[in-house]
This record gives sequence, structure tokens and C-alpha cells, in this order.
Amino acid sequence: MGIIYLMLIVSLCIAAFFLGFFFWATKNGQFDDDYGPSVRVLFEDEPIINDVNNGSSKV
Amino acid sequence: MAGSKPAKERPDQYAFLDLPEIRSRYISFENEQQVRVNLSLPAIHCSSCIYLLENLHKLEAKILRVQVHFARKEAAIVFSPDYKLSELALLLNYIGYPPDFSRNEETKKKQDRTFLFQLGIAGFAFGSIMLWSTPDYFGLGQDNATFRNFTAVLSFIVSLPVLLFSARHYFISAYKALRSKSINLDVPITIGIMALYTQSVLQIFSWQGAGYMDSFAGFIFFLLIGKWFQNMTYASLSFDRDFSSFFPVAIQRVKPDLSKEIVPIEQLQIHDLIEVRNEEIIPCDSELLSEETFIDYSFVTGEAQPVLLKKGAFVYAGGQVQGLACRLKVNATTNRSHLTQLWNETKDKTPKNQLLRYQDRLSRYFLLILLLIASVSGIAWYFIAPGAVFRVVVAVLIVACPCALALSAPFTLGNAMRALGKAGLYLKNSSVVEALTSIDTIVLDKTGTITDPNSYQITVAPHHLTDQEFTVFVNMARQSTHPLSKALASAHEAAPELELLQLEEIKGQGMRAEWNGETYLLGSAAFIGEAHLAKGSELFLKTAKNCAHLRFESSWRSLAIQRILDGYGANNCYVLSGDHNQDSEALLGLGFLKDHLFFELSPQQKTAQIQQLQKAGKQVLYIGDGLNDVGALGTAAIGLALSEDMFRFTPSADGILEAKSLVNLIQMLRIGRFAKRVLQICLAFSLSYNIFGLCIAISGQLTPLIAAILMPISSITIVLLSTLLIHFKYKHSFKS
Repeated sequence: MGIIYLMLIVSLCIAAFFLGFFFWATKNGQFDDDYGPSVRVLFEDEPIINDVNNGSSKV
Repeated sequence: MAGSKPAKERPDQYAFLDLPEIRSRYISFENEQQVRVNLSLPAIHCSSCIYLLENLHKLEAKILRVQVHFARKEAAIVFSPDYKLSELALLLNYIGYPPDFSRNEETKKKQDRTFLFQLGIAGFAFGSIMLWSTPDYFGLGQDNATFRNFTAVLSFIVSLPVLLFSARHYFISAYKALRSKSINLDVPITIGIMALYTQSVLQIFSWQGAGYMDSFAGFIFFLLIGKWFQNMTYASLSFDRDFSSFFPVAIQRVKPDLSKEIVPIEQLQIHDLIEVRNEEIIPCDSELLSEETFIDYSFVTGEAQPVLLKKGAFVYAGGQVQGLACRLKVNATTNRSHLTQLWNETKDKTPKNQLLRYQDRLSRYFLLILLLIASVSGIAWYFIAPGAVFRVVVAVLIVACPCALALSAPFTLGNAMRALGKAGLYLKNSSVVEALTSIDTIVLDKTGTITDPNSYQITVAPHHLTDQEFTVFVNMARQSTHPLSKALASAHEAAPELELLQLEEIKGQGMRAEWNGETYLLGSAAFIGEAHLAKGSELFLKTAKNCAHLRFESSWRSLAIQRILDGYGANNCYVLSGDHNQDSEALLGLGFLKDHLFFELSPQQKTAQIQQLQKAGKQVLYIGDGLNDVGALGTAAIGLALSEDMFRFTPSADGILEAKSLVNLIQMLRIGRFAKRVLQICLAFSLSYNIFGLCIAISGQLTPLIAAILMPISSITIVLLSTLLIHFKYKHSFKS
């Protein structure tokens, strides 16, 4: 029976972790724009040569 | 291709952005390596826009990074310090995304994310408590007191932030309502929350289990979801613009030595000389110094035709110059101009009488009946079993907690608002939907609202010009900046290009050109030598053999007008116009009643007219588009701003209606009325759930398990019901 206390606490910790994760995401503005990211993920990756030429995509 | 059609551009169009004081308004961050700016780009509308803008560094190496915020139609752009802000603006304009510099103030507003935190905490508590209450639901934890108390204390800890943080809004709202001696729905909600919470805490600390903590957290969670659904707004639209976003940011000032400089309009002084170019807006009341110019006042006064002003004439701020650039002497600064005064006057007026929310009215009776039932069952149980009185009274208060009732309005109105948005009517918030249901009178502005400002009905009379000759005239008109010529040219955009010889424009009179050895004249009656024919707003054409004149008439949105008149009856439709009454015949022909048409009204008179109708007990919907409608829009029960282009300047209003959706106005109002019926159905449903729960509570058989099942089920029924009904109504209305 003792194992259930451990499991309860572990489950609470997991839930709290996700709550913290949700807070972090909210603070970072992850939920501000619900359309842009879904499109952005489909864009081709930039060839890295660009970086060497003019360093324009740094930061 | 993405974006909008590029606006006509001048290389110095954005030169004002390089003035240090204006530049600093838009720059959000700057150091030696990079400059960061947040620009509002209203033309963003699809995924290609995001692609194009975020790859802008391929077009211009000095742009380092672009991040588009789609919902707000903004772009955060990082560029190198040797790149000018004006160059950036010009590039954006060139590729079809003219930046909107008037929205700067609004975009600076920080987003409030507290609500998401509240929702997160409530969801976390709800899930956790439900999880460790599961054994309880199946009757498994009953025999193990240690385990039961352990989970009960955990529930208590987890629920504390829900009570203190997530539910805060309801306590504050109920307290405010009670203090102003009124009752809103938040009062019974607060009573329910209190009953739930105290009963649960008492149970927990008398070591009898977790009580109703699961219901409590779930209750708050559902309520907050409803609120979140209701509070959705159109982030990219602004409903409360003030006059300053209508005027240009800066203007060309002519110095005494006749050199020109660009200054922000706040810096203009009385007696300054300014130069205003074609299609620019005059920022101050001033005196005309150029020989003559056409000024389009349609947005300010509602006059459809541009007015010709001569040297020395007084020009009101807000007019748009049509044709050649003109010079003006400032008579009053922008803050003191006629237009601004008018705006402030209407702004300070007493706010609209707030319609009492439907569910708030209902909640009075609800609260009364609830307290009655609680006390009656308490007294009854005193005689049956005195020990159970407290338990039963609390159970009644708990089960009657109007969760489903509180969700009915947010979901129904929120769904209706979304359906209307899909149909082209964007409301400021969902309470406007409620006001829509009671509208019985429709008042329309004329110019730009029931007329289409972008097209004229051009009639040629007498019509014996050959098509060939007419094409020559259209080609001549293309070269002119005269408003009527421009209207002619745009009405016949498809006409083939011809090469004209010896084209010359005689300012203020007309044009002369040669084609195939014949001379063509286009201009005023006097110009073609037929001065006796002169009448207002006409353009005369003359070839060697023929002579004809063109009459320009407003082109009506006839279908929309017809449907509105059919739907509401001519008796309940009015037209208020700031224009002269030359169109009254046409309006009568369209079916309006003679004594329901008003012309030459000042903005104040429009407002007074609306007030008079409202005094007669009418619920007025006003639709207008111009600055002269600001007062009327604010006075009417609902004011809708009509807009050809959703992101252009619109006067502050309760909603923005797409011009092309005006034809569907009646269907939209019907959706509004249907929403009210859906709300009533939902309320009936939730009340029956409450009555069912009350029966259980009064008989003294309420357990946490029943409460935990009853509440979510009733809430989900309401959500499904309102969503499906509104969805079907929308499908049904706009099927064809």
C-alpha cells in the first residue's frame, strides 16, 4: 500500500512540472500567435553558406 | 502573389521616418550592430506572406531578421544601423506590405497573460484532485483512513491557489455588484464557490475525506474556459482609434527661403506654410495659397464629390487633396482644428446606457429562489433531523451553483460572434451580440455607406460618340489628376492604350489631345465652348463632329439596400447624410420614405437625430463610415463602421462591417436574434439540471461523487448545444 503514496507524489510532481512548463511557454509568448508557427515549420531550411558570406543570419 | 497591390509610391514618401524624433517612436531597440523595429503590416493575410517577409534578408542584405506575428499582423524586423527606416518602409511598400504607422500606440500595449496562468492553475488542480479522488469514486479508499486523509490534505493544498488566484475575478466582481446594490451572475457563483469550499475544508479537517474539492476545482476551470472563449477578440483590428491615427505623421513645411523640410504635425505652428501632395490628408485648418485645388471631404462631411477651392479659401483639416500638390497656410494647429474639436466633443459624451446582461437580470430571480429553497429545506429538515440541517443547506447551495448557467452566455455569444466574423462582421466584444438582438431601426449614412465610393455610374448623353472616340477620351482621362477624369479612367480600365499626340492639360479647365489627325477636347462646358450647358459634376467631351457630356452619379449598393428595406420595412429605415440632397430622388426610387431622409446634416445633427429616435423608444443600429459619423456611431445602441478595407482607418465603433458583406446584414441580424433563442434554450437546460440536483440535495442524498458527475455533464451539454445550434444556423443562413 505504501507505494501509492510514492506514486501520488510522483504524479503530482509530473503535473507540477508540466504546469511550470506551461507557464514558461506562456511567458515566452508561445500562445500569442497560433497560426504563424504552423506555417513556419514547413519552410525549407536555409543553406548554411549564407552565414559564411555575409553573416546575415546570425543572432 | 501575397500582399496587396502596391500603392503609388514616391521615393520620399517615408522620408519623415528619418527625423530623429519620429524614428525613435518606432524603434524598440538599437545598438551598434542592429536596430529592432515592430511594424504593423495590415496586408499580411496568408502563409506566403509569412514566407516572403521572413525571407526579406534575401532581397536586402541589410535586413538581418524578420519575425511575423500573424494574429496581430505585425512584423518584428531587425536590420543593420546603416539601413534607413524610410528605406525599409519603402521596400515593404514596394513588395506590397505598406506599413501602417498610425497604429504605433496601440501595438505598444503589453499583452496580459495573467488569465492564461489562472486557467493553467485551475486545470492543474482539477486534474490532480480528480486523479487521487478516483479510488473514492469507486468506493475503494473508504476503508483506509490514512490514505483518505493524505489525499484530502493534498487536495486542500492544491486548491488554495485556485481559490486565491484563479477565482479572484469572481469575488471582486460579486463584491463590486453588491456594493453598488445590484446583483449579477457572479453573486450566486460566489455563494456556490464559498459553500463548496467551506464545506470541503470542514470535511478535510474533521478527517472525513476531500469533500467537494474536485467539483470546486472543476467548477472554476470550466468557468474560466467559458471566459476565455468569450474574450476572444480580433487582435489585428482596432475599434477605438482616435483622430490622430487618421492624420499623417509628418508633413512638408515650406521654410521662408522656400526650401522644404519634413516636420511632425505636432510641431506645426500657426502661419506656417505647408505643402500637401496628391492624396495626402490636410492636417490642420488652413488657408489655400495655391491658385486652386480639389479637396475630397467625403470622409469628413459625407459630400460625395470633391470640391473645387480657389486661392484664399478656408480648408478644413481632414480633407484629402486631389490632383496637384498645393500650398497652405496653417490657421489652427491639429489639436485645435474643427475636426479634432468635433471628435473630442463626441468622445466626452455620456457613455451608452449599458444594456443589462440577460443572465444578470435572470440571476436576481435565481438568487432569490435559491435562498428561498435553501431556507425552506433547512427549516423542513430541522423537524426531520436537526443534525442534518447544515449539511442539507450547504448541499443545496452547492448543487445550485450556476455553472452551466454561467457557461451558457459565454459560449452562445462567443459562437455567434465567431459566426458573424466569418460572415464579415467583426464585433468589438460578445456583449454587442446581445445588443444586436433588440435592434428594430436601421439608420444608414449615405456617402460611402449605401453608395460605393470607388465607383460612379457614368452616363454618356447624347450617345453618338463612336467606341473609338470614347477610347481616346478614356486615354486622355488616364493622364489627368482631375477627380472626374480619374473616375472615368477607372471605370474603363480595360480600354486599349492609344498613343495620343500633343496632349496638354490646361489647369482647371480641361485637356486637349490629337489622335488620327483630329483634335479631342475633354473638360468643363466653357472649355469646349458650350458654356451654356454647364451644370454641376459633369465632364464634357468634344471632337470635330460630336459633343457629349458625362454625368457622374453615385453608384448605389442597390442589392444591399433592397434587402435591408425588405427585411426591416421602409418604416424602420432612415438615411442621414451630410451631403446635399441631389440624390433624394434616387433614394426615393430605391424605396426609402420621404420623411425618413435627412440631408445636409452636421455631425452634431446626426447625433441629435439618433437621440431623438432613441427617445421614441427605438433601438437604433447605425452604419456609417466617415469621421462625421463618429458621434452617431457612439450614440446609437450599436454603431457599425463600414469599411472597404478592414485595416484602413475606421472611426471608433462597436464593430467593423466589411463593405461587401452589407448585403448580408439581415442574415447577420437574424443570427444575432437566433443567438438569443439559443441562450434561452441553454438556460432552460441548465436550470433543469439545477432542479434535478436540488431534488437530490433536498432529500439529503448529495455526495461528492454525484456533484462531480453532474456538474461536468451539465456544462458539456451546454457547450455542445450552443456550438451546434449556432453552427447549423450559420450554415443554413449562408448556404446560398
